[in-house]
Amino acid sequence: MSAARTPIRNPAGEDATGKGRVFKAELDRRRFVQAGAAAGLTLGFTPHVLARLNTAGTSSAADAAKSFAPAAYIRIDASGTTLIVHRSEMGQGARTSCAMLLAEELELPWEEIRIEQADGDPKYGNQNTDGSTTVRLNWQPLREAGAAARTMLVAAAAQGWDVAAGECRAEAGRVLHAGSGRSATYGELAAVAATLDVPEKPMLKDKKDHKILGTPRALVDVPDIVRGQAVYGIDVVRPGMLYASIERCPTIKGTLGSLDPEAALAVPGVKKVLPLEGAAQPFNLNAGVAVVAENTFAALKGRKALQIEWKTGEGLESSGAFRDKLQQLVDGDGKPFRSEGDFAAAKAAAARTLSASFHGPHLVHAPMEPLAATAVVTDEGCEIWAPCQDPMTARQRVAAALELDLAQVTVHVTLLGGGFGRKSKPDFILEAAKIAQQMKGTPIKLTWTREDEVRHGFYRAQNAQKLEATLDESGRLTGWRQHTAFPTILSTFMPGATDPSGFELGMGLTNLPYRIPSIQLESSGIASDVRIGWLRSVCNTFHAHAVNCFVDEIAEAAGKDPVQWRLEMLGEPRKLEFSDRDKPYGLDTGRLSAVIRRCAEVSRWGEKTLAEGVQRGFASHFSFLTYVAATLDASLDEEGKVKVHEVDLVVDCGTVVNPDTVRAQMEGAVVFALSMAFFGEITVENGAVQQSNFHDYPMLRIDQMPRVNVEILDSDAPPSGVGEPGVPPIAPALVNAIAKLTGKRVYDLPLTRAGLA
Amino acid sequence: MAIRMKVNGEERVFDIDPDTPLLWALRDTLGLTGTKYGCGMNRCGACTVHVDGRARRSCILPISRLEGREIVTIEGLSPDGGHPVQKAWEKINVPQCGYCQPGQIMSASALLAETPQPSDEQIDGALQVNICRCGTYQRIRLAVHEAAAELAGETDGEAR
Ligand code: FES
Ligand code: FES
Repeated sequence: MSAARTPIRNPAGEDATGKGRVFKAELDRRRFVQAGAAAGLTLGFTPHVLARLNTAGTSSAADAAKSFAPAAYIRIDASGTTLIVHRSEMGQGARTSCAMLLAEELELPWEEIRIEQADGDPKYGNQNTDGSTTVRLNWQPLREAGAAARTMLVAAAAQGWDVAAGECRAEAGRVLHAGSGRSATYGELAAVAATLDVPEKPMLKDKKDHKILGTPRALVDVPDIVRGQAVYGIDVVRPGMLYASIERCPTIKGTLGSLDPEAALAVPGVKKVLPLEGAAQPFNLNAGVAVVAENTFAALKGRKALQIEWKTGEGLESSGAFRDKLQQLVDGDGKPFRSEGDFAAAKAAAARTLSASFHGPHLVHAPMEPLAATAVVTDEGCEIWAPCQDPMTARQRVAAALELDLAQVTVHVTLLGGGFGRKSKPDFILEAAKIAQQMKGTPIKLTWTREDEVRHGFYRAQNAQKLEATLDESGRLTGWRQHTAFPTILSTFMPGATDPSGFELGMGLTNLPYRIPSIQLESSGIASDVRIGWLRSVCNTFHAHAVNCFVDEIAEAAGKDPVQWRLEMLGEPRKLEFSDRDKPYGLDTGRLSAVIRRCAEVSRWGEKTLAEGVQRGFASHFSFLTYVAATLDASLDEEGKVKVHEVDLVVDCGTVVNPDTVRAQMEGAVVFALSMAFFGEITVENGAVQQSNFHDYPMLRIDQMPRVNVEILDSDAPPSGVGEPGVPPIAPALVNAIAKLTGKRVYDLPLTRAGLA
Repeated sequence: MAIRMKVNGEERVFDIDPDTPLLWALRDTLGLTGTKYGCGMNRCGACTVHVDGRARRSCILPISRLEGREIVTIEGLSPDGGHPVQKAWEKINVPQCGYCQPGQIMSASALLAETPQPSDEQIDGALQVNICRCGTYQRIRLAVHEAAAELAGETDGEAR
């Protein structure tokens, strides 16, 4: 499968030395036909598509409603066809998948596609690349955009040749008339096509006619990546640019006590030292002092020379005490959010009860590319280049912070060297803009160090859960109580918010899928002194963990095989729709049972003879509307550390756009989850994060990589999430294997706490 | 005091702070942004380049120690992306976000230069320093074997 060459250009269009880096020419090798077509065809939302996007209720979609202008996903002119991708690429394949959706319906040969990355603009609808939604939200609109363009090009050709449109067809970037053998390129037809009405309901291709969708495609940026020519946010170069680094207050609400910039200013190459004030939600800026210099190293050296005293605040969060508070909360009564049957009665009547408390720490994202943004402020406004997941929110925040009109702020999206939720927060972009505002006319590239990224994150929340199960004489589960406590992500948007929100509880808890006579689910909130954010799979990680580990314990108590137990407790297929997160398709327990059954089959659960010293764990989870089941084989080495050998993972994510991306995301999810389970822990002392870099926040490395086998179930259901759903089942499958290896259950992550990693 | 070295075959003179790590000299002074920053402390391998043919972490190498040395970065590994490791990376479709991959490729190509047919253990040993947060390790192993096979094929071809 050859990939098309579609570079994200260095915004300068030239190299750092200004000598004109030549990016490889686009792949469009089609013969250029000058047809005198001055006007081109651009195509975006048809009105019914817009209506559907508006019901998504996001801020960007709401903006789109206000300023309806056809969002351009496709531009065709005499030089050919350009596909405009409005979602951010962070390795999850968004650029490739969006292009596949457009190219399929537009009948473009894959090898020749040309892609342009969209700036942040309401005309594209929802650009917030999070929640594993790119394919799910764009499956219909992008295919319809492609189909509408194809229909119009065919009509334009038919009109020009004076034949019926039904006699013409689009193929490989041309329209053909079989009867006469005539043909024309899209470029030649663009001008006429642009004068035609956009069809209300363009005919989409039949699945059996798909040439691109459902076939494995390499990511479009791979050729640039392997040549070192892909441009990430940290690589942006602008003429006359200066480089900035910021020393930040270790606590979020702290302020600058004193600053002596002299030694920093004496460092050769340092141009300026600028104090930056902190800002509360929704800006979420730490107070800081920026050092602006001629290059990154001078900025870093100057930063080290700063003499600063911070007023950090007293009595702020510390991890140990925070853990105790969380435990106290889950030991008591919480706010009920799902109640069925009568748990108290079940408990009173129980022959046996089980109870366990689970703990998980704060976690940070650590994308390989730390945060970086380039900004220039002129009399006209502010122009930004950044690796951002959510360019519209960035635009809005910058406009608000700099007191500019939205129209005066431009946000160009570069490639992201990983995101995992961190780059949905525009704090780093705001910082660059605020420095640039004080140095008008000079482009400023702000680069975060790894230490900055680890210490000034938006963390996956530290959490605790208490679970209780009641069993009757025969070992049958009669009641399930689960109390979850964590600081809510809402606190990042609204000061004072403490209670977990419905969407957080909906991630792996509200939709507990088993048929249990009495179910009682409760939550408690707590205020944190660090910023809480989205991290790949969000609350699903800890909810899926506790549920799957506890299920193993219950099955064991009942003397049942845990896979069999799950299938029995799921029973006949039902559709659950407890949470907004489950909409629009609901949780189909039949599909969950199917991935569980298939995973047991491919891994030969209970049948395969495992190597001496190896044990196997199982877990399954529904998240982002996708179903995943996994087995994991592990052993202990001489030092008692866990080694993971093999993972078999089965996924049902509905209709598949790019199977190779699904596989890659599942493989990557296993690694992400194992890093979390083995080592992931951010601790806080008086509000300040204690870790700083990969030596104290380690990652899984290649020598710890298990073999990962992925099977994708065939499905005609609408496409669902892919980037995140692979993560949640892995840690519980591991902990369930460890229980068999050691005879002891682990309730606290990471495993380093128990000396297992 | 200017420092001279060869970068991707070209003679270069650096007239900057001699403490500057090679990483930032490459990126900011020469505009060779293919070499990435990930940790700045020899822990992630994103900044891997070849110094006199061996894989080195450019983030901890001050240019003052590199007078007269030969540096190769991802941009100079091959004229057109045709190095067997680059080709294997494309064929296996290794990258996700791709940010770590220049470092992975520089480590892998240095390994193959010394050990043309590495075992999985040798691959793990040589690439252990290179973190991939996206988790492409399984494909990296495959791609290194793929590149090794191509190199072996080339050698056979020449021998014949
Ligand atoms: S940046 Fe050099 S090893 Fe991480
Ligand atoms: S591909 Fe993203 S860090 Fe390796």
